[in-house]
Amino acid sequence: MKFKAFFTGDGISLLDKRFLPAMDKVGRVCHVFLTPTHAMLLHNLLGATAAGPDGGGPQCVAQFAKDLLFREYNLSSRNGNQIAFSVEVALLHRALRSVLAVHAQAPAAGDAAGAPAIQVRLVNKLPAGSRSATPFLTFETKGARAAVVQDVPISRPLSRSDVERLQAALDAAKDLPQTLVQVPDLPQLQSLVDRLKNVGDLLTVAVTQYGDLHLQVSTSLVSVGSEFRKLRVIGDHANAPAGDQNLTASTRMDMAVERGEALSVQVNMKHLVKSLHCHLAKPDYTFYGIAPGGACLTVVFQYFIPGTRLADKSISFYCRLPVLDPGSS
Amino acid sequence: MSSSTSGRDDDAPDLVCQIDCVHGMVDALSSVRWKRHQDAVMELSAHGIVLTVEESGCLQAKVFLKREYDYAGEGRERFGLSLGLFVDCLNIFSAPGHASAVEIRYPGPDMQLLLKSVDSPDACLYAEIRTRIPDTISWDYNFEHDGNTPVTFTAKSAVLKETIDDLEWPGSSIQIRMQPDPPTVVFKGEGHGDLQVEFPYYANTDLLIVFQCDREVSYRYKYKFLRATTSNIPSSVMKENRRTKVTIGRGGMLKVQHLVSLARPGMPYFRNIGGGTEQTSRIAHIEFFVKPEEDDNDA
Repeated sequence: MKFKAFFTGDGISLLDKRFLPAMDKVGRVCHVFLTPTHAMLLHNLLGATAAGPDGGGPQCVAQFAKDLLFREYNLSSRNGNQIAFSVEVALLHRALRSVLAVHAQAPAAGDAAGAPAIQVRLVNKLPAGSRSATPFLTFETKGARAAVVQDVPISRPLSRSDVERLQAALDAAKDLPQTLVQVPDLPQLQSLVDRLKNVGDLLTVAVTQYGDLHLQVSTSLVSVGSEFRKLRVIGDHANAPAGDQNLTASTRMDMAVERGEALSVQVNMKHLVKSLHCHLAKPDYTFYGIAPGGACLTVVFQYFIPGTRLADKSISFYCRLPVLDPGSS
Repeated sequence: MSSSTSGRDDDAPDLVCQIDCVHGMVDALSSVRWKRHQDAVMELSAHGIVLTVEESGCLQAKVFLKREYDYAGEGRERFGLSLGLFVDCLNIFSAPGHASAVEIRYPGPDMQLLLKSVDSPDACLYAEIRTRIPDTISWDYNFEHDGNTPVTFTAKSAVLKETIDDLEWPGSSIQIRMQPDPPTVVFKGEGHGDLQVEFPYYANTDLLIVFQCDREVSYRYKYKFLRATTSNIPSSVMKENRRTKVTIGRGGMLKVQHLVSLARPGMPYFRNIGGGTEQTSRIAHIEFFVKPEEDDNDA
């Protein structure tokens, strides 16, 4: 099993400034999954925490085309050249920042401009005070005046069967909902959910084909909710019936569900709060949708190729929140 | 399409009012919130909104908000709701940094109190609070003056609050004594040691702004009830240098009155207290009534 690569300038920037901060907020430990074509950071795709709405958190997938993050990508294993392991996100981030700091010092005259050469490798080392070697992800770089090596402890690489389960979970997660609505202001949504979360633990989320996103939390004494209307719709859409305007938001929602023009599910408030931290990855667009049959709540983040409005297919970033009941369809 | 259970012809709610600044209303309501969970009775009429909170038959507080809205109901609507829940919901509507306007409607399809933000047509925040039929008639404290001249003083709210806060350590009941000669208000607490605070009228006109007393009166009040009358005064009251009026009525009933701004500085309705006239509709009147303890009546 071997992995060695150099980070690209974009790769360092994406990880350091966007994706590692976001993934750190979603969960403490994530899986790293490397394949011949892609590198991924994954939350809650395997294990007990993936199981359901009472688990540790939402599923979160950040998938990068390998050429976006790395150059001289050298990966081999007996398992179809795939390697997966788990790592503490904060440690990974700290190591990356520490090697970057070496290059932040003023370069000596004659240094080449451009991305600092930071190499990452999978190694087995004997940690101090231990009698057996354990795996690490090692970061190395040479700056103008100093060289730095950072070792980040990782889990034992996943077995073949676990990697297969991981791949299967990924394949299952790929189905897009039939209707997606675009939320224009993610920090605004986050501030709203921050206020709703004190009311209760269960959040009802509904997405309509008219372009409405509806969030509601209820207790026996109060219902508090928020409705966003006239959002951009991707996929199946319909026109809102004219007579609906004067009804209360919750009545409107119930009627849309009855007509089959909306889906409504219940999710764990804490999961939504965690998934909203993904705004730290600064996506260009964010979409919410409910999978067919109310199987889960999906949040899809989209990035543009810098300088254009074309979707950047080399980044795929999305969350799936487990639901508490089958919902209505 | 939704059927109304109220039996009226149209589904239009009786009360539709818009509050420009949620924060002001939260301040006014919070001043009568001395416990985490309190049941309140809210009364809507053509005159305005009155919210009443009571404890143990010894302490009652009322918040008066003058009518600034359309009221289509008949007579008075009275219902009970949780004060804490109402204030917590209003707080959800006030985002830091900007004054949010909220529309309040009553009743909803199931007799709820409905709150809705009206900042933008395409995004809204709403709350539906369950109400109940109040099962007790609010005890009418029937405040009467003792004798021909009211026995009363007015002091800066901040000073009164600080004095009552200071009286916490001596003990559980506080004696308030007013005497005409020399004109003074004395607060005294005894228990773990004793503490006496005097407000002399002539020494410092900043302290007692108004003083009226033609004979000595002295009554004791439970500390925790006295404390409730000033403990949650909003900070706007201190900043605006407002005054509190205290009156001792027949039988020693204590009446404490505050004024709380509903608007914020910078908004068109707010006028500085230093000079001009206030638009009274921008002020909430808060009244507390505290029953005296049974003993001690040196009239």
